[in-house]
Amino acid sequence: MLSVLIWIPILSAIFIGFWPSSPNQTSRIRLVALTVAGIVLLWNVFILLKFDISNPGMQFQEYLPWNDTLGLSYQLGVDGLSILMLILNSLLTWIAIYSSSKQTERPRLFYSMILLVSGGVAGAFLAENLLLFFLFYELELIPFYLLISIWGGEKRAYAGIKFLIYTAVSGALILATFLGMVWLTGSTSFAFDAVSTQNLSAGLQFTLLVGIILGFGIKIPLVPFHTWLPDAYVEASAPIAILLGGVLAKLGTYGLLRFGLGMFPQAWSVVAPTLAIWGAISAIYGAVIAIAQKDIKRMVAYSSIGHMGYVLLASAASTSLALVGAVSQMFSHGLILAILFHLVGVIEEKVGTRELDKLNGLMSPIRGLPLISALLVLSGMASAGIPGLTGFIAEFIVFQGSFAAFPLPTLLCVASSGLTAVYFVILLNRTCFGRLDNKQAYYPKVLWSEKTPALILATLIIFLGVQPTWLVRWSEPTTTAMVAAIPPVEKTVISLLNQE
Amino acid sequence: MDFANLAAQLNAGTILPEGIVIVTLMGVLIVDLILGRTSSRWIGYLAIAGLLAAVVALYFQWDAINPISFTGGFIGDDLSIIFRGIIALSAVTTILMSIRYIEQSGTALAEFIAILLSATLGGMFLSGASELVMIFISLETLSISSYLLTGYTKRDPRSNEAALKYLLIGASSTAVFLYGVSLLYGLSGGQTELSAIANGIVAANLGQSLGVVIALVFVIAGIGFKISAAPFHQWTPDVYEGAPTPVIAFLSVGSKAAGFALAIRLLTTVFPFVAEEWKFVFTALAVLSMILGNVVALAQTSMKRMLAYSSIAQAGFVMIGLIAGTDAGYASMVFYLLVYLFMNLCAFTCIILFSLRTGTDQIAEYSGLYQKDPLLTLGLSISLLSLGGIPPLAGFFGKIYLFWAGWQAGLYWMVLLGLVTSVVSIYYYIRVVKMMVVKEPQEMSDAVKNYPEIRWDLPGFRPLQVGLVVTLIATSVAGILSNPLFTLANNSVANTAILQTTKVVSTQVSAIPPEKPEGL
Repeated sequence: MLSVLIWIPILSAIFIGFWPSSPNQTSRIRLVALTVAGIVLLWNVFILLKFDISNPGMQFQEYLPWNDTLGLSYQLGVDGLSILMLILNSLLTWIAIYSSSKQTERPRLFYSMILLVSGGVAGAFLAENLLLFFLFYELELIPFYLLISIWGGEKRAYAGIKFLIYTAVSGALILATFLGMVWLTGSTSFAFDAVSTQNLSAGLQFTLLVGIILGFGIKIPLVPFHTWLPDAYVEASAPIAILLGGVLAKLGTYGLLRFGLGMFPQAWSVVAPTLAIWGAISAIYGAVIAIAQKDIKRMVAYSSIGHMGYVLLASAASTSLALVGAVSQMFSHGLILAILFHLVGVIEEKVGTRELDKLNGLMSPIRGLPLISALLVLSGMASAGIPGLTGFIAEFIVFQGSFAAFPLPTLLCVASSGLTAVYFVILLNRTCFGRLDNKQAYYPKVLWSEKTPALILATLIIFLGVQPTWLVRWSEPTTTAMVAAIPPVEKTVISLLNQE
Repeated sequence: MDFANLAAQLNAGTILPEGIVIVTLMGVLIVDLILGRTSSRWIGYLAIAGLLAAVVALYFQWDAINPISFTGGFIGDDLSIIFRGIIALSAVTTILMSIRYIEQSGTALAEFIAILLSATLGGMFLSGASELVMIFISLETLSISSYLLTGYTKRDPRSNEAALKYLLIGASSTAVFLYGVSLLYGLSGGQTELSAIANGIVAANLGQSLGVVIALVFVIAGIGFKISAAPFHQWTPDVYEGAPTPVIAFLSVGSKAAGFALAIRLLTTVFPFVAEEWKFVFTALAVLSMILGNVVALAQTSMKRMLAYSSIAQAGFVMIGLIAGTDAGYASMVFYLLVYLFMNLCAFTCIILFSLRTGTDQIAEYSGLYQKDPLLTLGLSISLLSLGGIPPLAGFFGKIYLFWAGWQAGLYWMVLLGLVTSVVSIYYYIRVVKMMVVKEPQEMSDAVKNYPEIRWDLPGFRPLQVGLVVTLIATSVAGILSNPLFTLANNSVANTAILQTTKVVSTQVSAIPPEKPEGL
């Protein structure tokens, strides 16, 4: 049942890749890709409906033996931590394909790579075997490199190679840690339930956990390792930026939760204070740097760094409520970032610039882009944490859940949430309000097909904002079970010291 | 000794595969003498048929009950069978590549194939040789044929220069190897058979004496030359650039596999009591090869030179398995060499195809190729990405197994270095992919602008296409469907007597020395 989510996109990617070339192929291939993504999305919704919310464990498990020598098995399962990420992945894939231009150059490669990425991400979220996870994790590397450096902006070659190197380093760190985890615990298989790190000495647990944090920290990205992100997000075309920010960043936080918190609960509670401060610094840093940007896409890119800081704070706090908040924040950040990148893409296409100094008065009802501007205002508000929208819900749960554990970092994050409002007001003020420049303001009309993805996303953002149970109900039992596995901090420190 | 007893001791059936190759070699030479140039249309296929027959014969020898033949001079155990198979298959692909390449250079195909077959023969005998003279003779057969092949296009000054370089370095390193071998003969009290040497050295109580260490170092100099491990690698870039491309394809896979086969057999049988020492030396070689190969490859502009440094680096990865010295370590070497066969030969087939159509092999000239030749672009991209270890291609599984085996043996720093240098290697492999795939139509190089129309029906192109497609498919799926290959590699190690018995010896002996270097 779950295999469908992986293999339909991958097989159709191969199929599209070998499509015989013909004139007028772009729209046909786009249609095929859209259909495939739609089928996968429907299938995903079907799985979501069949998902048993009260069960904290893995569901719909699948198992096939693969390679015993390596301890690699094809083992899939979905739980509260991954179900929302899966639906986010298939939704954003569909939206990315829908919002791609009908005149895309080299459509076969483009759509085949997008579907490959989609299948690979689904595989990583579903994998229940460390090596299988790593395989799918590394599968993103080349398709994304090509997607950035073929269909990107002016500095795409630089951005692509930078993304590639950072991600490859992250992969190497993760693989080294996985090998260490499995070998040091004496397990013969890489399956999740076969690896138990509880009996390792404190020093080893810390070393391995640091490997996990650094490896996934590059992907999330946390502050000193984030420098690939602005380049990659800004140089990527709008659909690719949606996938990069909406889906790929989640792979990092998901990995952190699943392998960091899930597999090293003892060491985790000891490093948690550092992580909480780190998250707060990330959040403040992202917001402050975003204020200084002159390019709207760069602003949105830095806002992403800030928002991922909240996820880190919540994972560090690791109370049941905070973890629900982390998962909700991951999901809602995916939606908000996707709509922002889509709208920025539309504005760039119609107006021809992304610079704050040149944009003006897009709210103007007749000659401006009124609907797009309105949606931009809405999504800016969602990103800044205005009540009634999903961003607020997620952030509020995060803050509520973390305050008891880490009051100061939480307050810093609240402050950075305020700073987020600052730069979004700057952004909206400079783009939507003011007067149009009479010489240049002859923008092409926005087609309905270009508005649709934004409208869908906006509906979801508002719906989940007023009806937040639909956001949090999926992950609650799983996160509660995860928290139950974490021993209280004092006890951990004592037990670790005793081991020494 | 009566005849029946002698025949039983000779056990000549073990070298049936080599026998088939010899017959093919003779056949090729004689047919060429009788028919002259007209035979060149099908003589390549004759050689391929012979080599494939040899592979089939190898298949029937798997798990032979009595692998020792020629009174201990040759052992046809499973490890040797798998290495002989690798060498024979690399010769098959080399012939597929060379039919057109050699025609185009205006030299005789039959002679080329004859020399290539004798190199194959040398390599195959080397894989199973377990006696000093036999080792030396087969090593020389391989080396001398390789010198001839390197300088085969004799009107090309670069080919001449490469042959001279290769000859001078090769002959001197063989001499060094010979000194080491003669020392072993003396130390062991006049034994030439490998296991007898080990016993002789133990009997003379020379376990870790200076003489044994000197012999070890001299022998490693010879082996390091064959597997082009840094610092014995200097010939590799120059020879790879100058020699005809099919020859390099053979040297990078067949000759290298023979070197590793020799390394496993010699080091584990003769030197179990200095295992720490040779592992230490090979650690140094592996570290140097991984760093130097991968870092210097970054700065190359010629495709063949880049692959030369890449092959130095890949040798460094394979040495991790040798240093681990466990069953999993040897099996991971065998598995990596198997998949290395597919990926490297696929890459070289694409390079030959490109240079046949455009006459150049500069990396910059590949710019914009995807528009003119999608199949070539796909083949070269897949094989280079597989060499870089990108999932789910064959090279990824090969590297994972090497690293996993290394980690199991406690070689943490080696594995970490391997991971870091793999990241470096992705950069230069992807650079070529970038040239071919990412570049816009207006950035097309001159060579690609004037790219000839793709025709597979020209003489000699069909075998190239077959070679390309087969190796491409193997590179793509050998990872996902890797179970049979893993079983093959694991069995070849598990069923090989020398690896199983010497392990006992080495653990017994290595318990004696008081100090062991940490972390090796």
